[in-house]
Amino acid sequence: MKLFEKIEFDQIRRYGTVIGLVGLCLFFTLLSEHFLTISNLMNVAQQSAIIAVISVGMTFVIITAGIDLSVGSVLAFSGVVMASALEGGLPIPVAIVIGFLVGFGCGAVNGLLITYGNLPPFIATLGMMSIARGAGLWYTDGRSISGFDDGFRFLATGEIFHIPVPVIIMIVIYVIAHFVLTRTKLGRYTYAIGGNEEAAILSGININFYKNVIYGIAGLLSALAAVILTARLNSAQPIAGIMYELDAIAATVIGGTSLMGGEGTIFGTLIGALIIGVLRNGLNLIGVSSFIQQIVIGSVIIGAILLDTNLKKMKTRSKR
Amino acid sequence: MPTDDHILLMENITKRFPGVLALDDVKFDLKRGEVHVLLGENGAGKSTLMKILSGAYEKDDGTIWIDGEQREISSPRYAQELGIGIIYQEFNLNPFLSVAENIFLGREPTLAPGVINWKRLFAKAQEILDELNVNINSKEEVGDLGVAMQQMVEVAKALSLNARILIMDEPTAALSRHEIQQLFRIIRHLKKQGVAVIYISHRLEEIFEIGDRVTVLRDGKYIDTRPVKSISRDELVRLMVNRDLDEQIPKKKAKLGPVVLRVDNLCVDNRLHDIEFSLRKGEVLGIAGLMGAGRTQLARAIFGVDKISEGKIYVDGTEVSVSSPRDAINAGIGFVTEDRKSEGLVLNRSVKENISLPNIRKFLSMGVLDFEKENRTVDEYISKLDIRTPGRDQNVVYLSGGNQQKVVLSKWLCSHARIFIFDEPTRGIDVGAKKEIYQLMNELTAKGVAIIMISSEMPEILGMSDRILVMCNGRITGRLDGEEATQEKIMKYALGELNEAV
Amino acid sequence: MKFLTLSQQLLLSLVACILLMFSSGCNSQKFPGKPTVALVVKTLNNPFFNDMEEGALQVADSLELNLLVQAAEREVDVEKQVQIIENLIQRRVDAILLTPSGSSEVVPVILKANNAGIPIINLDTKINMDLLKSDGGQIATYIGSDNYEGGRLAGRYLVEQLGGKGKVAILEGIPGHETADSRQKGFLDGIAEAPGIQVVTSQPANWERNMGYTVFQNILQSHSDLNAVFAANDLMALGAVEAIAASGKNYSDIIVVGFDAHSEAIASIRNGEMDATIAQNPVQIGRMGVLQAYKLLNGGSVPEEITVQIKLIAKESLTNNNIATD
Repeated sequence: MKLFEKIEFDQIRRYGTVIGLVGLCLFFTLLSEHFLTISNLMNVAQQSAIIAVISVGMTFVIITAGIDLSVGSVLAFSGVVMASALEGGLPIPVAIVIGFLVGFGCGAVNGLLITYGNLPPFIATLGMMSIARGAGLWYTDGRSISGFDDGFRFLATGEIFHIPVPVIIMIVIYVIAHFVLTRTKLGRYTYAIGGNEEAAILSGININFYKNVIYGIAGLLSALAAVILTARLNSAQPIAGIMYELDAIAATVIGGTSLMGGEGTIFGTLIGALIIGVLRNGLNLIGVSSFIQQIVIGSVIIGAILLDTNLKKMKTRSKR
Repeated sequence: MPTDDHILLMENITKRFPGVLALDDVKFDLKRGEVHVLLGENGAGKSTLMKILSGAYEKDDGTIWIDGEQREISSPRYAQELGIGIIYQEFNLNPFLSVAENIFLGREPTLAPGVINWKRLFAKAQEILDELNVNINSKEEVGDLGVAMQQMVEVAKALSLNARILIMDEPTAALSRHEIQQLFRIIRHLKKQGVAVIYISHRLEEIFEIGDRVTVLRDGKYIDTRPVKSISRDELVRLMVNRDLDEQIPKKKAKLGPVVLRVDNLCVDNRLHDIEFSLRKGEVLGIAGLMGAGRTQLARAIFGVDKISEGKIYVDGTEVSVSSPRDAINAGIGFVTEDRKSEGLVLNRSVKENISLPNIRKFLSMGVLDFEKENRTVDEYISKLDIRTPGRDQNVVYLSGGNQQKVVLSKWLCSHARIFIFDEPTRGIDVGAKKEIYQLMNELTAKGVAIIMISSEMPEILGMSDRILVMCNGRITGRLDGEEATQEKIMKYALGELNEAV
Repeated sequence: MKFLTLSQQLLLSLVACILLMFSSGCNSQKFPGKPTVALVVKTLNNPFFNDMEEGALQVADSLELNLLVQAAEREVDVEKQVQIIENLIQRRVDAILLTPSGSSEVVPVILKANNAGIPIINLDTKINMDLLKSDGGQIATYIGSDNYEGGRLAGRYLVEQLGGKGKVAILEGIPGHETADSRQKGFLDGIAEAPGIQVVTSQPANWERNMGYTVFQNILQSHSDLNAVFAANDLMALGAVEAIAASGKNYSDIIVVGFDAHSEAIASIRNGEMDATIAQNPVQIGRMGVLQAYKLLNGGSVPEEITVQIKLIAKESLTNNNIATD
């Protein structure tokens, strides 16, 4: 009896976001003939890819009951460093690896500040948000670096079996992340650290090490997002990614990850990122004014969380 | 129908939660100036009944009379107006505010709108405290008070709201013997003034000391109401669990083997001094002492959580360095913490994830979790320890205290711990489940596991231990053999008298 | 089961809420027969672009075109602007008027518009034409004022006012922007003729008024003998004016030259606080943009580049001619 009850609630929570996404799609299909076309759906997926990739790192971090405000700045910084490596004539894979190292490095510094420096994640990553932004501007003297060869731009403009490369990258990352979170030690520990840090410590988990790894991954994924963005715009800007952290947090939270930690799924985050992407796309298609778009997006975020927390509250209440 | 001396009458109270009938046609009555004990195992429906009375839940069915008037208690605020006060296990006090501010939070006397009349605030609060005859200054910060005193502040707060019905939910859970007496004195004082108290507790001895009548609930059903004077302890237990407990502590002595753990001259900065003891295979070593004697610190030091400043630890005769819990786990030590919820379990994760948390390496093949192997192992422990859960994927937050404790035990059984440290193993667990935990300890020792059991419950210490260490101020002040130990001897050492005899 | 109904209720009210928004926000499909032209600007919370929008709307109304105005939430967010253009391409608008948030960054999406056969009319900030051409892309026309020329006008004015000698500070826009770069370059070339003019510092204040205030306050701390400041837009210039007032100096001590002919800047010049500004004509840019789109849609040809007149406004010119902001 109790078992049924649990599934019922969890299903509403899990499939609630999916239902929301499908509902949005139906809604836009009714209002615009241009929405439900293969080319537009690919377009949406492609537009969502950058935020979706960042949100994966954000999901890991938020499940540990942390937060990473630096992802947008780290994206910009690792992007310009990678771009300058490309400009300097390094081979594409080498340049990308350099970008990844910068991203991972920034994330690991966040991790060190949080674990060994005992800083709250909010403060550590807030600092990094400013540092990485400044570092990117300083490194480039405020200029963008643009014009790359076709091999690099393939990462954004190319298609494999008619699927845009960024969408493929996004799917691969989600599959890997889902696997890591559900089927590896790192995944289990991520939930345990966020669910009850003290219990995790007393179960013999070296939480400092794992937190460092997790913030490092968040930085690394920001660098991956930078690759897609740079290839897409054919330019790396030191001012890229401003406020992306908020989109990533929104996608994660819409997807059902609790800011209190210990709960959340990668699949949910994907749906969350797609909901934001579909909203932006659909509102553009039907020609809603830019200002009202912001109101609608904000309302959807609040609505989704309202729904989620109230369902959760009812669930715990009925269990007492 | 209520009679004149009834201050409260609840009849036919029914409450359903999805899939669960939490209260089934329950009745309860309360007379002026009495202490009426509400007794039942965890999950019997006591809390639900009290939440209905205090307006936190809405009942599905039934009638409530207060002072002979039929009332629908629709909100906590209305319950307050009706003179119902509730003191929860977890206090709702703000530790950074003064006692007076806490008592009158949101109802501070004012000079002008928004301007607090501090003088009057402190004076009024002091008046209530003095009337309770407790030695608290209303200007003190609540965080500086001990647990017992904080409880008095809660009582004062309820009285300031003119409570005539006072609900106390496990009020003595965190109190020392002395503090309990102080609380009882106040309860008697309140009785004289006509306040009626609903007293919820697991501790049978308290019921006989303070209660006038007792009502027993079981599985959401009303069982019986009896005057305390005319009921025996065994009868009460039988009403609660519907089974006879010939003896509550079913200790079975195991065959003692060689020394598995030896602690030599262990010190932790200013908190533990010269701790020396050894533990044999199959033995239960009880550690008694008052709160703050350093018992939990000792457990944390052995388990590698707190840094050891001096001393050595030997497992099976070889020195081990435990600088982290991982080291301790690898050395075969398991730590069943005092506070399951904040230290032992990840509440919002499943039974399965909790059991495998310290053991995840066992289930990895090429870095990937082998679900089949994990499920098989977890199911094995669920059935071996009879963990009552709908399945391995149920979040532990929904399990009862006893079953949660079994999940913690499974964690360490699965890690093949040979030395178990139990810190208050039966705190907050109902009578039936307690017995199961003791039986599990017996099974463990029979298999050659050695147990260190920290406990504040005298019957438990006396009943389960082969040997007893008594601690005071970070030192071992007494060593007793299980047979010769008595409550009085333990108390003597716990209060600081040294015995170097054993 | 009452939980399901609650979630449904919440979802329904959400949808209802969104629907409500459309009744006020949806302006595209009212006249399905008419061609639709989109105007994509950097932001809609800068009066310059509001003026541009207004000019575009005037002409669109009289030519019976649907005009769709869109911008990203943040001026610097070129990725969001690119998304908007992609979505407009999906929607198959008939022409796009574009002020890019990043000159180079929009090149890939312009190629997409080219492939979809949607003409791009570039307004104000210039697209990186070298990059576009090397990628084989094209735009229909560029309409804008010459920012470089405007910067040069400002530089010349300062040389004149200072008698060829003095210390000058520059408040820059967001670094890396074509507009900011050309204004600054024009200004530096304008003062290059007078070697007595010395640029003591040049710092970014991100186009913002409050940044202009703080940055200039700091500059005044270290350069108390400053004679003049050139701000790459009027908002920063107005910030600088407030910093001068706060420092206790007289407005006449420091010459302040802005850019854009913002209505507040004109008022400030009238009051003798600012000294000059460079007038672009955003309304005219918007008008010309829609007009060129109309021509294109009707099979006409358009010139490769249209320059909208630019001029310097100082106190003297204000009293002589009646400069209106249109």
